[in-house]
Amino acid sequence: MNSRERVQLALNHKEADRVPLDLGGSGQTGMHVSTVYALRQALKLDPPGTPIKVIELFQMLGEIKPDLQDALDVDVISLSGRINFFGFKNEGWKPWTTFDGTPVLVPELFNTEPDEHGEILMYAQGDTSMPPCAKMPNGGYYFDSIMRQLPFDDDSLKVEDNLEEFGPVPDDELEYLKTESEKLYAETDKAIVLGLGGMAYGDIALVPGPTLKNPKGIRDITEWYMSTVTRQDYISQVFERQCEIALENLPKIYAAVGNRVTVAWVSGTDFGAQNNCFISPKAFRSLYKPFYKRVNDWIHQNTTWKTFIHSCGSILPIIPDIIEAGFDILNPVQTSAANMDPTVLKTRFGDQVTFWGGGVDTQKDLPFGTPDDVRTQVRERLQIFGNGGGFVFNPIHNVQAQVPIENLLAMYETIRDYGRY
Amino acid sequence: MEPIIKEIHTNVMEGNVTSVKANVQAAIDAGIPVSDILNDGMIAAMAEVGHLFEEGECFVPEMLIAARAMQTGLALLKPHLKNAEVVSAGKVVVGTVKGDLHDIGKNLVAMMLEGAGFEIIDLGTDVPAEKFVEAVRNQGAQIVAMSALLTTTMPSIKNTIDALNAAGLRGQVKVMIGGAPVTQNYANQVGADGFAPDASRAVATAKELMAT
Repeated sequence: MNSRERVQLALNHKEADRVPLDLGGSGQTGMHVSTVYALRQALKLDPPGTPIKVIELFQMLGEIKPDLQDALDVDVISLSGRINFFGFKNEGWKPWTTFDGTPVLVPELFNTEPDEHGEILMYAQGDTSMPPCAKMPNGGYYFDSIMRQLPFDDDSLKVEDNLEEFGPVPDDELEYLKTESEKLYAETDKAIVLGLGGMAYGDIALVPGPTLKNPKGIRDITEWYMSTVTRQDYISQVFERQCEIALENLPKIYAAVGNRVTVAWVSGTDFGAQNNCFISPKAFRSLYKPFYKRVNDWIHQNTTWKTFIHSCGSILPIIPDIIEAGFDILNPVQTSAANMDPTVLKTRFGDQVTFWGGGVDTQKDLPFGTPDDVRTQVRERLQIFGNGGGFVFNPIHNVQAQVPIENLLAMYETIRDYGRY
Repeated sequence: MEPIIKEIHTNVMEGNVTSVKANVQAAIDAGIPVSDILNDGMIAAMAEVGHLFEEGECFVPEMLIAARAMQTGLALLKPHLKNAEVVSAGKVVVGTVKGDLHDIGKNLVAMMLEGAGFEIIDLGTDVPAEKFVEAVRNQGAQIVAMSALLTTTMPSIKNTIDALNAAGLRGQVKVMIGGAPVTQNYANQVGADGFAPDASRAVATAKELMAT
C-alpha cells in the first residue's frame, strides 16, 4: 500500500495498514524552521550548518525535503501557489540567520535588515518604499501583521476595498499548478494536499492585507471582529463576492490539477479561542456557513477532492455546522482547548469527519513535557482517533520553535511503533 | 435607580457608542452623581458582559463592542472623577511579554479591568522585563498583569518575575498572568500570584489580589 492509498482509505473512514502521517502538507501541519534544522541534525541528514529553506514566511515554517519525509514515513505532500504571505514569490534564495541562530535560506525580497529596535520588518510585495506590513520582534520566531488601518467612515466604506486581494488565478499560476501536480503525482506516491487560496472567509491573519501595499477597507483586527456583529451586511457582501470569485476560480484550478489532488485545503479561519468559540455559533451559521457550503458543494459535485478546514480552539458547538457545510476533514483538533475531549469528538463525529491533527498537545506536552509524556499521549491518541480510520496523524498545529528534539523523536517513534492497525 | 442609568447600562451592554455618549453626557448635566453613573451604569454593565462571556453566552466581538462603548462613556466621566468620591479599585500595569505581539486578549483584560474601576497602565506588546520593572517602580502599581499567547514567549513571563525580584519590587506588587497556553500550574511554577483563564475572570483575580 502506498501513501496515497493509505491517506485515501483513512479519508474514507477505513483502517489502512497504519495511521497516515502528515508533516508539511499545509501551513498548519508543518514545523518551525529552527525545529526542522534541529531535527535534520539529530537524524544526521545534513552536515552541521546546512541552512533550511523557509517556505512559509509568516510562521517561519521550514522546508520538509524528501529525505526527511522518508526518514519519518510522511504520507502527504503540499502543493500551493507561488505567491507567499507577503505578496511575493519564494525565489532568489539568500542566506539569513534567525534570532535563535539557525542558518536559513529566505527569498530575495525577504528583508533581513533589522530596524533600529532590532526588529525584522516585512514589506508587502517587497516594496520598502511603503509602510511595513509585518514585524518579527527582536528575539522572536514568527511575524505578526502590522495594522495599517486607514481612517474610514461607514458611509464611504466600499465592499471592493476588502476584496482587493481576491481575484482570478493568473494563467501562469494555473500552468504551474498543472506542471507541479503532474510532477508530484508521478514522482512521489504521496497524497497531494492542494492549498486553495482565497476561500477562507475572514481569516484574521489575512484581514490586515499582508500581501497589499496599501490595504483599504476594514483592516484592523479588532475593528474587523466588531464588524462581524455591527456591520454584518458589509461582511456578508465581502464574503458573497469572495465566494463568487472562488467559484470562478475552482473550475480553472480543477482543470489544471484534476483528481491528482487528494485533499483541498479550503480554510484556515480560526473560530475558536482557548475556552469557547471566538465568535457566536449563530454568527458562524448565518455569516460563514452558507459560503463554505457553496465552495464545498462545487468541489464535491465536480471532483474527488476531500475538503479540509483548519480552526484552532474550542469549537465543539459548531462542529456539526462544519460537517453540514460539507467539510470532510477537521484540523488541528485542539484537544487542549475547552470541551475538545478526544473520545467525545471521535464518538460524536468520527464517522462524519476525518480528524487531521490532535495527535499531541503542542501547548503543553510537546514543548514542555518529557519524552514519556509525549509517548503516552501519542499512543492514547492513536488508539482513540485511529479506530476505524478517519484519522491522519499530526500534532495540534505546526510544531513550534524550541520544542525539544527528544520529544519530537519520541512522537515519531511512537507513531511508527503503535500506528499500525 | 435613575432611568437614565438603566439606559446607560443597556447601551454599554449593546455596545451602542452614540447612545452611551448622549446618555452619559445627559446624566452628568442632570447632576446625577458621577459615582452612580460609573458604578451602576457602566461597571455593572461590564460585569454582566463578563459574566455572559464566562457562561459562553457572549463572545469576543460582543465583548469588544461593549468595552468600546464603556471606554467612550468613561472618557466623558474622567474629568469629573477626580472631584467625585470614586475610589480606584487599584492600579494595574498591563502588557504582552517580550517577543509576543498578540494583544486582543491583553486589551480585553485591560478593558475589563478598566470597566471594573481599575486604573490601567498599558505598556502594549513585546514588553521587555525592564519596562515592567520601570512602570512598577515609577507608577506605584499594585498589580502587574502579563499575557503570552505563544509557547515560545511563555519564558518571558518568568524572566519578568525574576526581574521584579532582582529589582527588589516583588514584595510590593502582585503578579497575575494569562494567555492561551498559560495555566494555573504554570502560574504556580513561575511564582505568579494569580492566573485567569479569560478577561472576565481576570477582574475577579485582580480583586482577590487587591484584597490579600
